Amino acid sequence: MEAILQALISGLAVGSAYSLVALGFSVTFTTTKTLNFSHGEFVSAGAFIGMSVLFLAVGKLPTSTSFGGADPGAMAQLGALLASLIVMGLIGWLLFILGVRPFAKRPGMAWVMSTLGFGVILQSIGLAIWGPKPVVVPSPVGDDVIRWMGIGIRPQEILILVVSVIVMIGFDHVMRKTMMGKAMRAVAQNQNVASLMGINVTLVMIGAFIISSALAGLSGFLLAPVAQASLFMGLAVGLKGFSAAMVGGLNNARGCVFGGFILGVLESFVNLWSAQWREVAIFALVILVLALRPNGLFGTNMVEKV
Amino acid sequence: MSIKKILKLTAIATTLSVAISSYAQDIKLGFNGDLSASPSAQSGKAGVIGIEAAIADINAAGGVLGRKLTLVVRDDQSQPPKSIQNMSDLIDNEKVVAVFGPTNSGNALAWRHIPNQKKIVSMGMIGSGTDITKPMSPGAENYMFRVSMVDREQVAALVTYASKLPKKTIGLMGETTGYGQGGLKDLEEIMKLHGMSAVATEKFGVADTDMTSQLNKMKAANVDTILLWAQGTPIGQLMRSMEKLNYYPLVLTSWAADNITFYDAAGKNLASKPVFMRTMVSPSTPAQKKLYERTASKLAAPSAFPFVVHGYDAVLLVAEAIKQSGGTDGPKMKEALENLNASVNGVMKTYSKPFNKTDHEALTAGDLTFVKWNGDQLVKYSDDIIKTMSASDYKR
Repeated sequence: MEAILQALISGLAVGSAYSLVALGFSVTFTTTKTLNFSHGEFVSAGAFIGMSVLFLAVGKLPTSTSFGGADPGAMAQLGALLASLIVMGLIGWLLFILGVRPFAKRPGMAWVMSTLGFGVILQSIGLAIWGPKPVVVPSPVGDDVIRWMGIGIRPQEILILVVSVIVMIGFDHVMRKTMMGKAMRAVAQNQNVASLMGINVTLVMIGAFIISSALAGLSGFLLAPVAQASLFMGLAVGLKGFSAAMVGGLNNARGCVFGGFILGVLESFVNLWSAQWREVAIFALVILVLALRPNGLFGTNMVEKV
Repeated sequence: MSIKKILKLTAIATTLSVAISSYAQDIKLGFNGDLSASPSAQSGKAGVIGIEAAIADINAAGGVLGRKLTLVVRDDQSQPPKSIQNMSDLIDNEKVVAVFGPTNSGNALAWRHIPNQKKIVSMGMIGSGTDITKPMSPGAENYMFRVSMVDREQVAALVTYASKLPKKTIGLMGETTGYGQGGLKDLEEIMKLHGMSAVATEKFGVADTDMTSQLNKMKAANVDTILLWAQGTPIGQLMRSMEKLNYYPLVLTSWAADNITFYDAAGKNLASKPVFMRTMVSPSTPAQKKLYERTASKLAAPSAFPFVVHGYDAVLLVAEAIKQSGGTDGPKMKEALENLNASVNGVMKTYSKPFNKTDHEALTAGDLTFVKWNGDQLVKYSDDIIKTMSASDYKR
């Protein structure tokens, strides 16, 4: 019984990381019908920006490789979070200007390549600055295991869970209830008509890329204390986050978060059975969901208007 | 043209030709391995530091056969295709006479046919995969040598230790990479030789952050000793998952636990729990201390120092082979390595007849030491069982 409860809680903790990444994919898709295929690398970049601020706060060079037990404190953590959000937001804006806008209106898939390439560039710059070594980042909420009914979880994992649900609720509200959300959905539906209705299409698109990349920054900042900051950390969560979005529904914030939770809990339960079949089970589920519900479990039908 | 000018030109031409001819006489060595991409890149960097130090020392003492040694370094970014390409480039274009590396065992397995076909000595000094130094087919000419840890040797020692524990219910764990699976295979085979078997075998992904499900299965099977094969960071994550469950069986694991990435991931308290093996504990002999002082500032962490020593000794052994064979002919160098007349005073140890026709490992189980983390230092680990163990107990 304890084992099952532990698997459920651990699965939710792992899944909430996927949820946050899935939300990042969702933001650009619901507005521009494009995706940032290097969202995973953006997560890594966000982690390293936050980490660098924390290093500066404890009086070390941003390129250090270990905190050596130093605690940066709450203000530094807040500063690191803000830096991750702002810098990644700016990089998202840059990505849109350089990598998406020139190609988005053209037929073909040039933006797929350009967003992928952007990620490779980010990763290479990161490797040149910080090197390949993973860095253990101190958690803003401490690292002592919280025990409850015989199971254990770390405070940071609870934090990610809570934040991913809050972001989901906020995003859901904005998309459904506010003028801005309506404008974003209108742009996704038909750029020309949206433009004729007085919506500044470019501004909405830039906004979507800024928000999506800032979310990547948030994911990186929150994930670093659990998974360690590494330039390769985004690779796994990027793929799983995308899978979560596909399972839950790429155009639905609630779907993305539940998709993440479903994948995380499934992984953890397959581990209870036989971990080597985990990836098979996950991607079999993704394929199955796509076959039965092409828009994901929570996704709404997308009508391609010609 | 004035006579002065002609003299001047002649002087320049002579200097140039002397420079070129002395350049042509240099003996080129190559390194091919990861220096930038994977978490093991710091081991690759340390290895190159050791190679360079040995080359500097040999050249300062007049070189080999009166010729200077030079090094050509190629980064394979841990990717097998890049590593294969580097290997051909070093041998065919750069005309190196021996290649050191690689960092990642998988890459050596991807290209070991190349040095064997081109008859160029390859001296591993980082990757510990058991199969690297095996001939391509039984009895085939084999140009793969190694001065480093060997997985099968560590497994032999760890399983011998486990077999002598008074009470043991053994579980096996490994990551799902080639490294983890190779280690699991070695563990299972050698346990069989001891007539032992595991009550549970569990796997986990290299980037996993929570292994509580797998550990709960170990707990349910009453496992009190876990033999674990994984890289530094996932071993650290596994220890963190043990903390969540408050379940601490004895952990006997791979030498990857000596990596600072493990120490960082696990944290001071959890890092002190696993027992593992190493080719050296910390610089202890005068030669080791001297080399450490010379290179420490360039290392990412002190724990990477053994790779400096492996790299250093690898160069000494290759240099001795060149000296003994009287040149840089590949087959003659290989023959010399397999039958070195003089003992080589290395930094790790003195190598007397380190290799023969069938054994291409310079370091074996007898050269390994049990270690543990104590605070942020690696210390020699010993107990009553280890004291009674001898190399003859090992089964491979």
